[in-house]
Amino acid sequence: MFKWISEFFSLAKNYIVFALLLSLSLFMISTNNNVHTRGLQVIGLVTTSYLEAGVNDVLSYFSLASKNKELQEENAHLIDMTARIRRALIENQQLRSMLALKSQSTTVLIPANVIGRTSEGGKYFVTLDAGSNDGVHISDPVITGSGLVGIVIAVSSDFSLVRTLLDSDSRIAARLVNASADGLIVAGGFGELAMKNVSRRYSVKTGDIVETSTLSSLVPPGIVIGVVSKATEETGDIFKHIEVQPAVDFTSISAAFVMQYSRPAEAVKLETKNLPKHK
Amino acid sequence: MTKRLIGYVVLGVAAILVQKFLDDFASINLVSPQVVILFVIFLALREGQLFGMGGGFVVGLLHDLLTTHFLGYTSFVGVIAGFIAGFFYKESDAELAGKTFNFAWISAITLFFSELLALPIIAAGELNYFYVFLKFTLGTTVYTSVFAMIIVFVNGKKSRYV
Repeated sequence: MFKWISEFFSLAKNYIVFALLLSLSLFMISTNNNVHTRGLQVIGLVTTSYLEAGVNDVLSYFSLASKNKELQEENAHLIDMTARIRRALIENQQLRSMLALKSQSTTVLIPANVIGRTSEGGKYFVTLDAGSNDGVHISDPVITGSGLVGIVIAVSSDFSLVRTLLDSDSRIAARLVNASADGLIVAGGFGELAMKNVSRRYSVKTGDIVETSTLSSLVPPGIVIGVVSKATEETGDIFKHIEVQPAVDFTSISAAFVMQYSRPAEAVKLETKNLPKHK
Repeated sequence: MTKRLIGYVVLGVAAILVQKFLDDFASINLVSPQVVILFVIFLALREGQLFGMGGGFVVGLLHDLLTTHFLGYTSFVGVIAGFIAGFFYKESDAELAGKTFNFAWISAITLFFSELLALPIIAAGELNYFYVFLKFTLGTTVYTSVFAMIIVFVNGKKSRYV
């Protein structure tokens, strides 16, 4: 009997090892959103972030001239934009006082450089050189001047890991500005996004702007996500098929802002008090 | 053997660093050549199926931990790659691994099936499987195979096999 078992194992050892290692890998994949696995991800993030920061410093030294020119152009653009925003702000304040609306709290923006990009198997993360020491927290939204980049999913003292909109696990509540329809932004194909759960009764056109929705608990409303590049309907499907061109160019993003956003405390308190808890 | 093992460890770490560099600078529409998997195929062709699978798991896990931060995915593809490439292992040809064009077509076959088996993980929640298949399975296989041919060309020329 023992001889038979040992013969079986010597013959099938490769298949047994294959099955064991494959099961172990699948187990790890299934526990990726687990708290303990997050701890491991942070250890990996810290280890590579210092290396990436060093490489980034060296590379940025060689591109200083072109970067300087880019920043000058951006500066000119921002001066113009600031003037327009100032005018809009004054107008907004006048209208608010007229309507006696409560003034919204200003969101703190933490500037950060993108020191690493990771894309593999539908996963798309960026690493920022700002961490808990700078005030970054898990679930903080990350933006650029163009629009929403993603959500912080892991933070170390000096670095943070951001799950971008292109990541297959990303889900952001979004709104079609023209149609006033809410939906869910998920990763699409070939660097695009897809907007799901939009009923076909809404009129959606190419070029319509998609921004974050008031329904989102993670991101403040009104941040641009992208524009509709294609909207189709299929027989038998109650939802539209909407492809969205992201506003942010994820392949060339070099700097971003982390928003210290939290929902109004009173609203959270009200929901916690009155909504039934999930068990 | 210890000396050879240290050599593989150094090569494995180098493959992870090169992979990180390629992810940042040579990625086309989120698809980049999988140097880490090429290294696993090389291991399997040099040392056999068992070593290839073990190496694939370890180097894949290290790669996930240090660069993708999505634990388990590369180790999953690595184990499958080591398993498939192990069938092409021939003790007498072990020294030729990575030096002849056999490496390029073995890599293409191995990559195609490894990425194909990983497709359900990548496409989880995605309705358009064909889209994901075209992009990640076929795209990665073609891009990495071209890269394997360049490696063979450079490596083989140096050792006069090409």
